[in-house]
Amino acid sequence: MNRNLKRKLAQYGKYFALSIWALIVAFPIYWIVATSFKPDRDWFAWPPVYWSEEPTLNNYAVVWADHKEEYEGGTQYSHSMQKPWKALRNSLFISVISTFFAVGFGTILAYGVSRYQILSEGRMFQLLMLRMVPPIVIVAPLSLYYSTLHLLDTITGLVIIYSITTLPYSVWMIKSFIDELPLEIEQAAMILGASRLRTLWEIVFPLVRSGIVATFLFILILTWSEYLLALILSKTEVATLPVELSKYEGSVEGRVYGRQAALAVGVTLPLIAIGIFIRKHLARGFSFGMVKR
Amino acid sequence: MPPFPGSALSLLQNMNSSPTSNTNGSTKSRPRQLVQARAVQRFKWSVLSVLIVVLVAVLFPVLMLQLYFSFHGYSVYGGSWWDAEFVGLELFEEVVTDPRLGWAIIRSLLFATGSTIGCFVIGFGLALLMYRPFRGQAFYYILFILPMLTVPIVIAYTGEMLLYQKGPVNDLLSSIFGRQVNILWLANADTALLTVMVLEVWNWVPFSFIIMMAGLAALPDEPIEAAKILGASKWRVFVEIQLPLLRPVIVLALILRFLEAIAEFPKAWSLFQGGPGSATETIPTYLYIVTWQYFEISKGAAMSYVILLIMVAIVLLAIQILRREKIGLDQIYDSRKETTA
Amino acid sequence: MTHIELKNIRKEFGGSVVAVKNLNLSIEHGEFLVLVGPSGCGKTTTLRMIAGFEDPTTGEILVENDVINELEPAERNLGMVFQTHALFPHKTVSENIAFGPRMKKVNKEIINDKVKEVAEMVKITHLLEKLPAQCSGGESQRVAVARTLITDPSAFLLDEPLSSLDAKLRREMRAEVDRLHKELNKTFIYVTHDQEEAMTLADRIVVMDEGEIKQVGSPIDIYNNPNSYFVADFFGSPSMNLINGEIVNSEAGKVFKSLILNVDLPKLFENSAPGPVTLGIRPEQIGISSSGDIKKKIYLVEPLGKDTLLYFETVEERELIAIVESNSSYRSGDTVALNLLPEHIFLFDSSGKRILN
Repeated sequence: MNRNLKRKLAQYGKYFALSIWALIVAFPIYWIVATSFKPDRDWFAWPPVYWSEEPTLNNYAVVWADHKEEYEGGTQYSHSMQKPWKALRNSLFISVISTFFAVGFGTILAYGVSRYQILSEGRMFQLLMLRMVPPIVIVAPLSLYYSTLHLLDTITGLVIIYSITTLPYSVWMIKSFIDELPLEIEQAAMILGASRLRTLWEIVFPLVRSGIVATFLFILILTWSEYLLALILSKTEVATLPVELSKYEGSVEGRVYGRQAALAVGVTLPLIAIGIFIRKHLARGFSFGMVKR
Repeated sequence: MPPFPGSALSLLQNMNSSPTSNTNGSTKSRPRQLVQARAVQRFKWSVLSVLIVVLVAVLFPVLMLQLYFSFHGYSVYGGSWWDAEFVGLELFEEVVTDPRLGWAIIRSLLFATGSTIGCFVIGFGLALLMYRPFRGQAFYYILFILPMLTVPIVIAYTGEMLLYQKGPVNDLLSSIFGRQVNILWLANADTALLTVMVLEVWNWVPFSFIIMMAGLAALPDEPIEAAKILGASKWRVFVEIQLPLLRPVIVLALILRFLEAIAEFPKAWSLFQGGPGSATETIPTYLYIVTWQYFEISKGAAMSYVILLIMVAIVLLAIQILRREKIGLDQIYDSRKETTA
Repeated sequence: MTHIELKNIRKEFGGSVVAVKNLNLSIEHGEFLVLVGPSGCGKTTTLRMIAGFEDPTTGEILVENDVINELEPAERNLGMVFQTHALFPHKTVSENIAFGPRMKKVNKEIINDKVKEVAEMVKITHLLEKLPAQCSGGESQRVAVARTLITDPSAFLLDEPLSSLDAKLRREMRAEVDRLHKELNKTFIYVTHDQEEAMTLADRIVVMDEGEIKQVGSPIDIYNNPNSYFVADFFGSPSMNLINGEIVNSEAGKVFKSLILNVDLPKLFENSAPGPVTLGIRPEQIGISSSGDIKKKIYLVEPLGKDTLLYFETVEERELIAIVESNSSYRSGDTVALNLLPEHIFLFDSSGKRILN
């Protein structure tokens, strides 16, 4: 077999393999998006409806409207407890504020580690424990502790624990950006007469800003989709979107696929947009200095 | 304690000199060095004290409470928790001899190992196919990272919609194999854990994929080209050059994924709540059931303690391994830098 | 008149690594001083101590007879050009140049005028609105120089400023640096590992190795009178022929004996004690003729354009090289006689020190 033919075959093989996985990835996503546009009778139809003849926006209208649902007969859906807009607000508040803390403190800590070694590399790895030990093992006493402090079911309570559990990622990721900035640039600014604060503000910060933004969005993804802590520490008042979503799942008669899908699409869409936006930096969030550039 | 973060920044003001690679190298300190060293120390401790205070304030009482409950019989039905009766090691005995916990641990290990291998093999395979630029690379890359960006609860949902008995997956399988396929993905105790595993793999292949893509892209080209010219086949290049250079990244991908898989809760819980029977009772779900469904707070606490100790040991080991890999990597990297300088 | 003085400077890193050992040096006003040596010899550390980025472990740095150890880098009124240029990538060329005076709160219009002035001086007026990333290597170098120039420092510290450029550009920029020094008449302290750069630029060369000064002197002096094996070997391209052997007594006087060749030593070495030595002679000081005592076979002829290098067979690792004019018609395989000009023979003892009588 000549070289060209071999290469061509390998090429086809590659595209074939990639396309198979592409289908496996895309089909569930297609299905939930499609379901969100299906009218009620298509939800459980057999054979399944792959392409609805009568797409509708009704699911979105119903789910994202904060009033009780009107429906034609069938099961009684108890929707009074679901308040997606409120959950959206909660989710936004909690994830943005906690991300702000994690990234703000993480930036200062990362700068100190990168330039003054205020934490040794060993300590930096130990910091990962905050993330790696599963939260379920402390969440019960934490909820009791929170309840005595009146932090249970509050935004503050979730913000505190989210800030702590995302800090390791934040520090490591921002440190990787600062490490890439040559020390000489800072020294050049200083020998030209810039104070340390000035150097930070005018030289360091602008140069790592895009990295900090990427870190912010990365951590936002983590906090936005967190479920266990939110489920136990918030429940009613400040239920986040994932918790709100899971309420549909609980009851047997609560299988309202179209509605769930409409809610799910709304919850996931911002994350996908953010993730695609920062896709070049995603690897950094997990690489902990193991990928040398 | 100084209010944060403004004061930490203002401390930086005193450190007007440049940061240097060593701050404590001198044997005889002079005033300027002393001032700087003090400023660095102040900065260091004002930052670290915030961290330490927060961690102690949050984690210490939690661990104390957990310790208290582990030695006092308390459940929500038993009056005020501070009046609970001291029971000594009774709870720990109960926990250690609880076969359900044993099974939960086995299931968790099985689940984590299986899904870690699944994620890694598929993710690494895709990365190997994709790390060199080609037409459509960006398209496939974006598509392949989508599952990771999806909220786990949504994945559980989607899983249910796809996998229920009269759902599209059984329908598609039927038309592929030309006969009626009727797998009870969601109701069969034998396959329930496998179902969660499939969802976990679908969810987290992107994680391995992204890390391995980055690792492969960061490999130096020249040693690989050199090996090819010296007559190594693709396979030998892979085994002798690429794989050893990738080892730290591979170790990282495996360890992180394994630990996250041990902690997996949203999908297993919202799809199965531990059932059918106790087929999907993993460590997190069983702990959740004991504490929040049986409300056996004390047993949950004692159990948490046991798991916490095991996990801390595992995580410390993992950290040790990661550090060793990092040090090895730094050595390779530094020696390379020296020869080019 | 002394401008900058280093007194008993010692620098340790982490208590165990000694980068600079007891260094004493005084630098005159307007002098072009080059610190040269192999990597790790302490030259960059010395420069960074003068700039104030590193603190000497012991010893004093004086400018105009004032100790400046306690001053911050910015307060020393020195300018530094970094090896990597260290331009601020997010600022335009003119913003980069204006940075220094802006930190000193100079009036905006004055800054604008000065930026134009220095830009003209280093010929980068057309680049002012560009970002550093849009500049070539040579252009970035000019911007880095301009950024230092505008602050009107009393001395310029240059840390291998040309090492990131290719050979042709390096020669061009070298001439440019030379011109600047002549125009400004300021003190330049220049660090390099390239002996050719040192030879062409310096008023005075400081050769360093392992944290110590090996020799200080003018380029010609260093070239013609190296005080050690190390310095002799470091300067010159191709470098000096160095042949291991020994001094023995004979009736005619002292003779250098080695596996490659034997030479009668000039009267100069009359009093040298017999024993192992290294003989050194520069390739251009070896005369080639058809008859003589030392007959050698040429194994390689390397034309360089103006000159041609002849390589002779040796039993040792180092080859023996002679330089002849290009119009001579030697071929490899020819056997010729070597004539070592006696007044250009160097001898080094086993510790590497030059033997002088």
